[in-house]
Amino acid sequence: MAVDPMKTLGQDTPRVDAYERVTGRATYNRDIKLPGMLYARVLRSTVPHAMVRRIDTSKAEALPGVRAVMTHETHKIPYGSGSISGGRQYSDPHKDITTRLRYTFNEHVRYVGEPVAAVAAVNRHIAEEALQLIEIEYDELPFVMDVEEAVAAGAPEIWEGGNIAHDSENRQQPIGGQTGDLQAGFSEADQIFEERFTTAFIQDAQLEPRSSLAHWEGDKLILHTPTQGVSNCRHDTARDLGLEDHQVQVVCKYMGGGFGDKNGNYYFDLIAAAFARDLGVPVMVELSRKDDWLGTHGRWHTVQDYRVGVKDDGTVTAIEVNGKSGMGPYLRRSGNVSGMDVYACENTSKAILPVHTNRMVSGNFRAPAYPQGYFAISSMMDDVAYKMGVDPVQFALKNMVRPTETKQFTNYALDQCIAMGAEQFDWQRRWNPNPGSAEGPIKRGAGMSFMMFNARLGASSAIVRAASGGRYTVYVGVTDIGPGAKTTMSMLAAETLDVPLSSVDIVWGDSDRCPYSVGESGSRCTTMTGFAVVEAARDLKRQIDERGLPTGDDVLIASATPAPSTNGKLREGFGAHFAEVEVDTQLGDVRVTKYLTVHESGRILNPLPALDQIRGAVIQGIGQALKEDVLYDTNTGHPLMTGYYFARHLTHLDVPEIENTFIETDDGYGPYGAKTVGESGIIIAPATIANAVYNAIGVRMKDLPITRDKILEAVA
Amino acid sequence: MKTFTNRNPESVGHAVSIARDAIGGGRSVVFAGGGTDLLQLVKERIPNRPGSGAPDVIINLKGIAEMNGVSRRNDGGLAIGGLTSLSAVSANTDVSARYNAVAEAAVSVATLQMRNVGTIAGNVCQRPWCWYYRNGFDCFKAGGNQCYSVSGENQLHAIFGGGPSFIVHPSDVAPALVAFDAIFRVAGSNGERRLSADEFFVLPRDDARHENVLADDEVLVSIELPAASGNVRSGFRKLMDRATWTHAVGSAAVALDMDGDTCRSASIVLGGVAPIPWRVEAAEQMLAGQTITAELAEAVGRAAVEGAQPLAKNRYKVPMTQRLVERTVLAVAG
Ligand SMILES: Cc1cc2nc3c(=O)[nH]c(=O)nc-3n(C[C@@H](O)[C@@H](O)[C@H](O)COP(=O)(O)OP(=O)(O)OC[C@H]3O[C@@H](n4cnc5c(N)ncnc54)[C@H](O)[C@@H]3O)c2cc1C
Ligand code: SF4
Repeated sequence: MAVDPMKTLGQDTPRVDAYERVTGRATYNRDIKLPGMLYARVLRSTVPHAMVRRIDTSKAEALPGVRAVMTHETHKIPYGSGSISGGRQYSDPHKDITTRLRYTFNEHVRYVGEPVAAVAAVNRHIAEEALQLIEIEYDELPFVMDVEEAVAAGAPEIWEGGNIAHDSENRQQPIGGQTGDLQAGFSEADQIFEERFTTAFIQDAQLEPRSSLAHWEGDKLILHTPTQGVSNCRHDTARDLGLEDHQVQVVCKYMGGGFGDKNGNYYFDLIAAAFARDLGVPVMVELSRKDDWLGTHGRWHTVQDYRVGVKDDGTVTAIEVNGKSGMGPYLRRSGNVSGMDVYACENTSKAILPVHTNRMVSGNFRAPAYPQGYFAISSMMDDVAYKMGVDPVQFALKNMVRPTETKQFTNYALDQCIAMGAEQFDWQRRWNPNPGSAEGPIKRGAGMSFMMFNARLGASSAIVRAASGGRYTVYVGVTDIGPGAKTTMSMLAAETLDVPLSSVDIVWGDSDRCPYSVGESGSRCTTMTGFAVVEAARDLKRQIDERGLPTGDDVLIASATPAPSTNGKLREGFGAHFAEVEVDTQLGDVRVTKYLTVHESGRILNPLPALDQIRGAVIQGIGQALKEDVLYDTNTGHPLMTGYYFARHLTHLDVPEIENTFIETDDGYGPYGAKTVGESGIIIAPATIANAVYNAIGVRMKDLPITRDKILEAVA
Repeated sequence: MKTFTNRNPESVGHAVSIARDAIGGGRSVVFAGGGTDLLQLVKERIPNRPGSGAPDVIINLKGIAEMNGVSRRNDGGLAIGGLTSLSAVSANTDVSARYNAVAEAAVSVATLQMRNVGTIAGNVCQRPWCWYYRNGFDCFKAGGNQCYSVSGENQLHAIFGGGPSFIVHPSDVAPALVAFDAIFRVAGSNGERRLSADEFFVLPRDDARHENVLADDEVLVSIELPAASGNVRSGFRKLMDRATWTHAVGSAAVALDMDGDTCRSASIVLGGVAPIPWRVEAAEQMLAGQTITAELAEAVGRAAVEGAQPLAKNRYKVPMTQRLVERTVLAVAG
């Protein structure tokens, strides 16, 4: 299964649009100017929970330069057409039946930052000035910030029927289920361990603040918006506005980071569309940095209670987790937590309740359910290993998932990742068998964790065209949010057609010009849309072989919409991370002195961005482990850590050299055996750091982020 | 951002008269140095001068040549013009030779870009970075009548001198200046005054809304550093919640006047732990006439945090500050 070298794939290839990006010639959304366009701004709720009693926009409307003001009284546009918004791969059936409708403006406001009005004006300054002139009176309601309090008896109801979020059938049930026989598993155990872990809400914090530019040609909406998926955004927007998909064109040529926060459409897309329709001119809604912070979403915070049964020989016999995820007042994504299935243990139970609170909205953030889940279960198992007197690496090798009769993988490399990582990291030397025992105030420690992450296959489409002169054009609905999808798609076509990369052009980021793509979410763009490119290119090559290259104005065209499957086998990417930290037990500083990763992500199509993806994800993971948070003032329901300054995102100086090795394989699936890369790197980074901190100080840190105050309280 | 008038005076006198006239006409006024702090507040409509809302007039000081640069004074000390950028302060060899803690403090501020633009007067006069004030709460510092942190999230707040506001003074450079007994030269419509640190900075118990005594029409023209002997060793150490681009969770400026191995006298001034640069005299006195050993430094650290009054969520700052002082004293003693 080792991979053979290829002509284009596997070669370090700079992005095809690197030049435009670094010279400032790339047109990002806010750079777009259309004749006669207006600028709009959104006014946000300053209270966490209330009914809008009165809203008076007359002074704002009277301000010279203001063209229109919009509120829940003037526009009632369902946003997401229900409580789970998303694209076609998500939740259309649920949107049809949901009883918890969200609108672009809600008379019942449920968090600080919720949109309550918008102004369109001749420039952004007037629009912003006009927001100040809108008078609002609220009937304030009691609010709740904590997931446990939100489900306690007598909690303020954010939604009628209670604060447990609805599932896709409007039931209030935990996410999860059972495997094997949990009770038998615990009976078999010689020891049972219990622990509670919590993780904080953190903002996706993508660099480009949001904007959306809408204009209409007749009854067709053209929407320029930074989205991770033009196809999904088109479908969402059409649905919310009561249009057919073909009546909406979504364009996104360049965007400045998404991390899951730019998936599907957003309410400001609908505000821009409605203003543009009402006023008959293009309208750009812009969010300030603070707006972007409050008015988009972040990773759901969690409380997770684990119970684990172990035999004296170190075999885990039962795993149970009960938890709650804080979703904010609107359900945008699942609220799940993942990680259990990386253990072989057959007897498991998981029950995670997604809960509404009056905090800002939670949604997808790079590997949505994983880093917080893996932090908890990996910390739990690390703790169990120490309590059983077993080296965590040995404990991992003993209890990790392995292929069985009933659990078959397209290929398996978890053992290899762990073994290679341990050797490269020099685990035996760096790991301290007696946590916290190092001399002196500055204590070193080492930690590890391991993971697997689904490398999904699924439907997506691509068109490839050959023209005279040996020019090829790939049409794909990708937008390139950072991992380099445009380059990958071009490379896949070049390799398959056996032509140089320079002869391949790409048409991307436009739902009218490109066929359906899942877009860049769930680490699926390469495996799904990339596979469609390969299939289409193969078809085109067959055509060329039969008919020769087109000449003159002739073209040859091939398209593909494959929906491959693994026939029940699990297709997973694997990984192991190792970190060394120094904890200053007097001052509370944590310094990451070494970080080493091994990933099996199938064939690596373009090593350059693949390595950057792992590094960038690890950096975010270290931030989640040690720094990032969005603390609220629980007395007033206001967020305090808004923006990069307060939320403590890492800087370059905080980050160690991150070493990575890819174990390359080709399992025969996906495009030339490629699996997922984009999200893999973040999954176990918080867990790895937390385990290293434990090894250093000998106190288990159970609540993320592991900040100075917590460390100093722990060692006091 | 609210619309405002921008004025570009070329002398201190002119700046003061613009301010006086505007205030007399009922308009609110602020001075701008580099604007790195001010413009954020203006954009977010957070009152810069407590109670006055977004300013009507911004008086941009950058055209005032007399306020820029470091000069030697006749008494052997230095005068640092209020407009001198933090980069220029840290690069100045007169500063680093005799007042190393000031240079180290200046270079620890925010980021290089910010230091290139941010001025020393703006650094000393920046408003608090308490997350309530910066998020638009109508607390004392914005002109209101309550403090939200005391019963709320006070992880980063004062352990000394707090009440009724519990901010920490945000300036990194101020503790280092105070360690050298700096004089703050101020000009306003009532003329000029030269103020010691004790006179310049104010505790919230005396004035909960302001951090210093500057009146609305007063400019911090320069900061004078008295002559320091060549035997003074000094340093600044800052703890941050990330490696750069943020304020101190706690900082210590230490200056030791050494006679061989013996410390003649010491100044220890803390930042990030009190509403003003916080001098710890009892700790300073323990060093006078002593040889500095690890044991002594530890005792000095303990003395420095005596009387600390942490809030519910910042108890960690007490042992942290103790060790910070201990280590900074040892490091400066060499
Ligand atoms: C992200 C970020 C990180 C930061 N990190 C740090 C840090 O680590 N350490 C630190 O010390 N600071 C930090 N700061 C604050 C930073 O703004 C100051 O360090 C900077 O020096 C301010 O100088 P300025 O000239 O830009 O001030 P301005 O913004 O121009 O002014 C600040 C205040 O001082 C007043 N003012 C300015 N000049 C005068 C004068 N001559 N007379 C009277 N009043 C005056 C203004 O009216 C205003 O109220 C940070 C700021 C930001 C935004
Ligand atoms: S500490 Fe000061 S700035 Fe912070 S809330 Fe209290 S009064 Fe306001």
